[in-house]
Amino acid sequence: MAEKTYTFRVQRNKVTGDGKVESRWQDYKLSAEPTTTVLICLERIKGQQDGTLTYRMSCRSAICGSCAMKISGRTRLACKTHVEKVADANGVIHVSPMSNQPILKDMVVDIRPFYNHVQKIKPYLQEGSETDKNVGRSSYDQVNHVTQCIMCGSCYSDCTMAEVSDKFIGPAALAKAFRFVSDPREGKKTERLRELSEMHQMWSCCRCAQCVETCPKDVKPMEAIVKLRARGMQKGFVDGPGQKHALAFHGDIQKTGDLNEFTLMQRTIGIVGTLGELGMALHLMKKGKIPSPFPHKCDGVEELGNIFRILEENPLDVETKAKEVAPE
Amino acid sequence: MSLEFSFYPGCAGKQVQKEAKSAAQAVARELGITLHPMPRASCCGAVSLREAKLAFSLAVAARILSEAEAAGRNICTICNTCLQTLSHANYRFKHEPDILEKINGVLKKAGVRPYNATIKVQHLLWVVTDQVDQKLLKSKITRPLQGLKVAPFYGCHNLRPSEIYESKAGDEADHLDRLITLLGGSPVSYSGSRKCCGFHVMLSDPTEMRSMVGKNCIDAKDNGAELMISPCTLCDMSMSAYQMPAEKVLNRSINLPEMNFAQLLGASMGIDATELGLERLHVDPRPILRSKGL
Repeated sequence: MAEKTYTFRVQRNKVTGDGKVESRWQDYKLSAEPTTTVLICLERIKGQQDGTLTYRMSCRSAICGSCAMKISGRTRLACKTHVEKVADANGVIHVSPMSNQPILKDMVVDIRPFYNHVQKIKPYLQEGSETDKNVGRSSYDQVNHVTQCIMCGSCYSDCTMAEVSDKFIGPAALAKAFRFVSDPREGKKTERLRELSEMHQMWSCCRCAQCVETCPKDVKPMEAIVKLRARGMQKGFVDGPGQKHALAFHGDIQKTGDLNEFTLMQRTIGIVGTLGELGMALHLMKKGKIPSPFPHKCDGVEELGNIFRILEENPLDVETKAKEVAPE
Repeated sequence: MSLEFSFYPGCAGKQVQKEAKSAAQAVARELGITLHPMPRASCCGAVSLREAKLAFSLAVAARILSEAEAAGRNICTICNTCLQTLSHANYRFKHEPDILEKINGVLKKAGVRPYNATIKVQHLLWVVTDQVDQKLLKSKITRPLQGLKVAPFYGCHNLRPSEIYESKAGDEADHLDRLITLLGGSPVSYSGSRKCCGFHVMLSDPTEMRSMVGKNCIDAKDNGAELMISPCTLCDMSMSAYQMPAEKVLNRSINLPEMNFAQLLGASMGIDATELGLERLHVDPRPILRSKGL
């Protein structure tokens, strides 16, 4: 394949004496084949043009997760990204460090915030009363998907909730938590779900699905978060606003078909919370944005009640399942 | 190409964001798109229902999809979350025949027509930019935007997860940018364009939600935006009605008018401002539109 000239517009970062980060963009030109990886290009730049360029790397095979960085707008593994895929029409590729973690130098960030969140979920099997000694073929239907995580931190870097909250535990930690909650050998599944139901854990995901799109290993963290929430509610951890909101839907749909948005706020955050939001309600009311307390009833609404009743009497397992992984 | 759709405006479009619905209907009328009502359709349940009652959520989606299928039409919506919820279920029905069979078993017992997984779920934005004859569309633009700098705000559930959508999605989606250019405006490039409006954590994480709104608007303004548009009734609610509360959290003024894409399209087609419901927006876009002769 023919080589092309690409411009790597790289963010150079330096921490100054007072702890502030000084950033500037530096261009490096080099010629490469379209399928050359960004990491190989960075290696050539470092070896042939500028030895001071600093980044993490190790395995070159999308296994170690070291070379995660922002490449043309999204966090990617440099070793798994072909230049042509991320170059703009002028052949320019933007490279900068991951977000949501402090910068140390150039593309190197302090990964402790990310790892500290993962540590919080106790990323190991625990002994306890819920350990199931029978491990069958279907036992790993839910586990297999999330064990592909290589802890590169890409999802945390692109997480839109982590961007506004350093308390939010983040997608990777939650995907890992799901891995243990679904493992038959885990002894403290319920205790895990109780902890995950607290503030800034699984109910603070804003469901933007950026982590699903970003993950270089197809872990689909948000799908794991949705399943964790379902399991938490099944265990009776229904006290937070997220849970109450989720539980408001199926009643309304059976009764009228449409959501009763008028009472939704009160059912989600309670009377006291609603009083606290009175200012907001008045602000919305100014523009007529207060929903009717009597939502429209759809035709055939009794069918929805029938469906609900049939499923409560005969529950169906319709969860997505990971493909079975056979030994090679 | 037949532009007949079963119209699914979503709960917000029927109530708090009804201006987006009337703008959508006005624009559709001018462009020869027929939006048929769906009298049997219920709320889609959003991701909330999927979390609380997974099988019920799939059955509710199948019942909605089946109503459109019985009429021989694709679905067209103006809410990103409805788009994602129905597309997600539809994707599963098309790729997991065993799940479709199980859900159809329930529908039959409940007296509902089973779903055969033959229709598509579309967003009105996609219909306007990809399916309407572009010559007709251009001929309707009587009041071009004269270079107005417009920030496209796509909204998460219009984009991700990209595999489930039956149009360009994820990083590839360019519908809003193309529409802004076609209207004679200049699309603003800014990093918040594909981020989250925070709608779904509005009550559980109110401060974080307001920070998201504020940061996205400020990012757009810093890159020159004079106006923001979104294809989603929920994003509209966040980015417009919650902009003032966001100003309080971030302690700085923003004042960036935000409107639904159908409202801006309608305005450049010369449709009456009252029919487009422009007076129902919290950050009034009318002064900036008037300055461009709209």
